[in-house]
Amino acid sequence: MTAAQPAAVRLSRVTRLFDGLAAVSSVSLEIARGEVVWLRGWNGSGKTTLLRLIATAISPTFGGGTVLGFDLQTERSAIRARCDLLSHQTRLYEDLTAAENLRFACSLYDIDPRLAEPALGRVGLEELAGVRVGKFSQGMRQRLTLARCLMRAPALVLLDEPYAALDVDARSVVDELLSTARASGQTVVVASHEAPPAHLVDREVTMDGGRVMTPAGVAPS
Amino acid sequence: MSMRAAQAIVAKDLRTEVRSRSAVSTVLPFAATMLLAFGFALGPDRLLLAQTAPALLWLAALFASVELCHRSYQHEAANDALEGLLLSPVDKGAVYLGKAAAAFVQLIVLMVVTTGIVIVLFGLPVGPAPALLLLTAVLGVAGLSTLGSLLGLLAVRSRTRQAALPVLILPLVSPVIIAATKATADLTRGTTAGVSGWLSLLVAFDAAYLAVGYIVFGHLLED
Repeated sequence: MTAAQPAAVRLSRVTRLFDGLAAVSSVSLEIARGEVVWLRGWNGSGKTTLLRLIATAISPTFGGGTVLGFDLQTERSAIRARCDLLSHQTRLYEDLTAAENLRFACSLYDIDPRLAEPALGRVGLEELAGVRVGKFSQGMRQRLTLARCLMRAPALVLLDEPYAALDVDARSVVDELLSTARASGQTVVVASHEAPPAHLVDREVTMDGGRVMTPAGVAPS
Repeated sequence: MSMRAAQAIVAKDLRTEVRSRSAVSTVLPFAATMLLAFGFALGPDRLLLAQTAPALLWLAALFASVELCHRSYQHEAANDALEGLLLSPVDKGAVYLGKAAAAFVQLIVLMVVTTGIVIVLFGLPVGPAPALLLLTAVLGVAGLSTLGSLLGLLAVRSRTRQAALPVLILPLVSPVIIAATKATADLTRGTTAGVSGWLSLLVAFDAAYLAVGYIVFGHLLED
């Protein structure tokens, strides 16, 4: 991390209410550039909501912050261009093939569509490039979303329960994504109820009841 | 980038339609059945059938547009692909233009088929100005697709979903349906005198829907 670069994520007393109930309550969190942070907590602890706030899928009810130096409220487009959120909702089109889904993403993110094929190869789906996603298992769909993320190589990767519904082979693809991201200086935030693979993670942050329970500052290097 | 995204959305929606055949398997039979039912209900009076045909044609187009726009956003709602569009950095107005253009192409195809049915079943004459009739169809379908593509988004995000779309679209699309029906009726009767007024009204509403849709779509898509 260079001193001139702003933190990858800097949240200040962020709260998100749904029908009056706080899913995330007064969270202040700072994540340095290039850090791999494991956000751990049980179901309903607020992990997913926090990732969605960082990804600008939802807005904070109170509080604010910056992501990659851009304001969470007013510079959403800049954040979206540099950030990818992978969740159990795959955001894939059932009637398009795997390759077509990736090429469609290329159009949205202004990426060279020729990157789609090697990305499919990296997750072991090159043989199924012409198969419609409607025929894919959940695990194959998850792999395809990983391929989409690898193709984009965003500065900030947000993974929500990335190991869910994955077999052993596909779990290794997630591990590879984490180690690749780490090596290339991408910032990664993983939300999971599982224990982190210690060799791939810089810091663990625990959430409970919508609050960050462990110190949420930048880990000492 | 915005135009590239709009083109990609048009291609994606049309490809999805060709593969899922939702219009062919549901929307078209629905429109054809509706026209047949009205045909039987009105009886064998050829003059009455020809007089009511323009209104029935546009009523069929309206119901087809509701179903088509609903299905288009159902594809987006599956797997939360709509959020993928939200989280992409493209201008959300371009997303709207892509959705509206894809709906326009599909509705034009449906309109060609339903017009054929109306000509055969109801004895609707094409009239002396087929070019103006074609222009009426294009402008009327543009109104249905621009409004339907905006309200389809609202409907898919509401709790009542399918029920919400007709409730939202019917009052707002009335000027388009009235103008298109009047223009079609005049042209098929061989009268062109008052048609320009109806066509001007269609152009005005199309432009208004398109402008509002382009501006508002992004706000509706956001949380």
